[in-house]
Amino acid sequence: MSAVAAKPTAGGAMDVTATIIGIIILLVVIALTYFLVGPGLAFMALIGIIVGGILVAFGVHFVPVGGAPAAMGQAPGIATGVAMLAAGAGLAGLFGGAWAAQTTDNLLVIVVTGAVGGGLMMAITCMFVTFIYVFGMGIPNASGKVAKDPITGDTQTEYKSQGTEGHGLPFISYVGGVIGGLFGGAGGTLIYIMLLNLYNEELPGMMNALPAQVLPIAVTLAGMFAIGMFLVNAVLAAYNITGTIEGPHDPKFKRFPRAIVASAVASAVCGIVAIMIVAV
Amino acid sequence: MVESIVFGIGITALAGALATVAGAAENVESDIGSQGDPNSQVQLAPQMGYIHRIFNKAVAGEPPAYGLWIALGAGLAWAFLAMQINPILALVLGSSLAVFVQGVYATTAYLGRTASLAKFGQPVYVDILKSMTTVTMAHAFVAIFTTVTMCYLINAALGHPFPLPLLGIVWGIALGAAGSATGNPFYGKERQYQNQKYGAGVPIAASGNIVRFAEAGERNSLDNGWFSARLGGPASGVCFGLIVFLELWRTVLFEEVGSGWGAIVMGIIIILVFMVIDRYIEVWARKNYGPFVKPEETSS
Repeated sequence: MSAVAAKPTAGGAMDVTATIIGIIILLVVIALTYFLVGPGLAFMALIGIIVGGILVAFGVHFVPVGGAPAAMGQAPGIATGVAMLAAGAGLAGLFGGAWAAQTTDNLLVIVVTGAVGGGLMMAITCMFVTFIYVFGMGIPNASGKVAKDPITGDTQTEYKSQGTEGHGLPFISYVGGVIGGLFGGAGGTLIYIMLLNLYNEELPGMMNALPAQVLPIAVTLAGMFAIGMFLVNAVLAAYNITGTIEGPHDPKFKRFPRAIVASAVASAVCGIVAIMIVAV
Repeated sequence: MVESIVFGIGITALAGALATVAGAAENVESDIGSQGDPNSQVQLAPQMGYIHRIFNKAVAGEPPAYGLWIALGAGLAWAFLAMQINPILALVLGSSLAVFVQGVYATTAYLGRTASLAKFGQPVYVDILKSMTTVTMAHAFVAIFTTVTMCYLINAALGHPFPLPLLGIVWGIALGAAGSATGNPFYGKERQYQNQKYGAGVPIAASGNIVRFAEAGERNSLDNGWFSARLGGPASGVCFGLIVFLELWRTVLFEEVGSGWGAIVMGIIIILVFMVIDRYIEVWARKNYGPFVKPEETSS
């Protein structure tokens, strides 16, 4: 079938064939890793990377992004790209998580610290978006997708200016942004910490050096892979969203199961590469 | 112990101040160059018949562009530091070289994007290229140098495990994200569409009809830089400064409390405080600006 003849798939529908193929690839990669490295630290790292990737892709769907129309007050959301804003928040979270990993071994503390770092970045940024809209441009917040804000119950339609789809960040979008930052920060940090533990374990033997000597290399490698995988998952989710999204109340949010399957597969494929450089 | 905390807080404040300058310079730079989302209108205007003298350099979205420039500046500074060059000199040299890359991108982006509009009658103004490129480069230098210096302080003084180039890419992307989120609407709506009603979004039908004339003669991007420096730039600066300051502050002061949970609890409290401020501003706007139409009209 040619591309012209192909029917466009409905917005939120899962393509059954693609999903099955995705799950098969995922299982093959997991089985291959288990076969190659056994049930040790490397296998756990792969599972951590997949979970981290899913958290990132899921989190991106919460972030209210309006793109170019938002910069003209024509559509609600933050006036920048989906993947980029999520990356900004997630990487700020990764920064915090990586710092916490220096002082504690508690995985929960590290991942939650990363999550809060991402949430903090989004909380401040979204507050300033509202600040600029209200005090810089004199425009109140209004959603274009719902008649009432699901959290505050504020009516939206009458605050929408003529000829636009809404503007600014209604409170539900603000909360969505913070939740997106939390998920992004947690996912990025989880990927980082799983890889760091693996590299700290394997690199001294491989390079015939002391653990303290390989630590900077391990941190750098894990950080680079974490940033790379973060961007892979953020961009995948952005393609799933196609353009703009208002937050968890947007009908496009229902598309997230598709992104979860895709990001699990992508994370597994990227993850096996990150693991194989030390584990085989 | 107390001395180390005082030292940490001092570095945190300095990093926050550097980040504030970086955010302001980043936003003004991107607005002078019409980078970021408002660029869509600068590119669209000639296609709708509105020929203009606005600089047009959408190299990429601001976050990846700044991720590149700051990682480049930080990476070069790191290499100079490894060559035992004085840190201040290394940071200046790294940032200067990164700025030249920004300048090359700005030039090729302006020429390429404007030349693509030739069939709509948009000329390539060589005087614009000559006078604007250096101004964006100067602003970019301020943004890159302050962010690279901030990353150096975080790494060398506060002991963050990431090496300088990795910190550069993390904070470069965050800088671009914060700057574009905060500053873009102010430039995109309030400046480019100054001829539209204040207090309302730009009607979709008006897209492309950007303001092209100034008090005397045609408007250029230096006028836009002046306008952004009034609110969009400082607001972006305070936004990025607060992100950096509060992230470092909660870690430096509360990391040791409750075996790591102290910094988490403090982070959640800060998030809740900003959430309350946001809600307050939203309610204030609804009360003071009032609805555009009466509720019953919309329901009918």
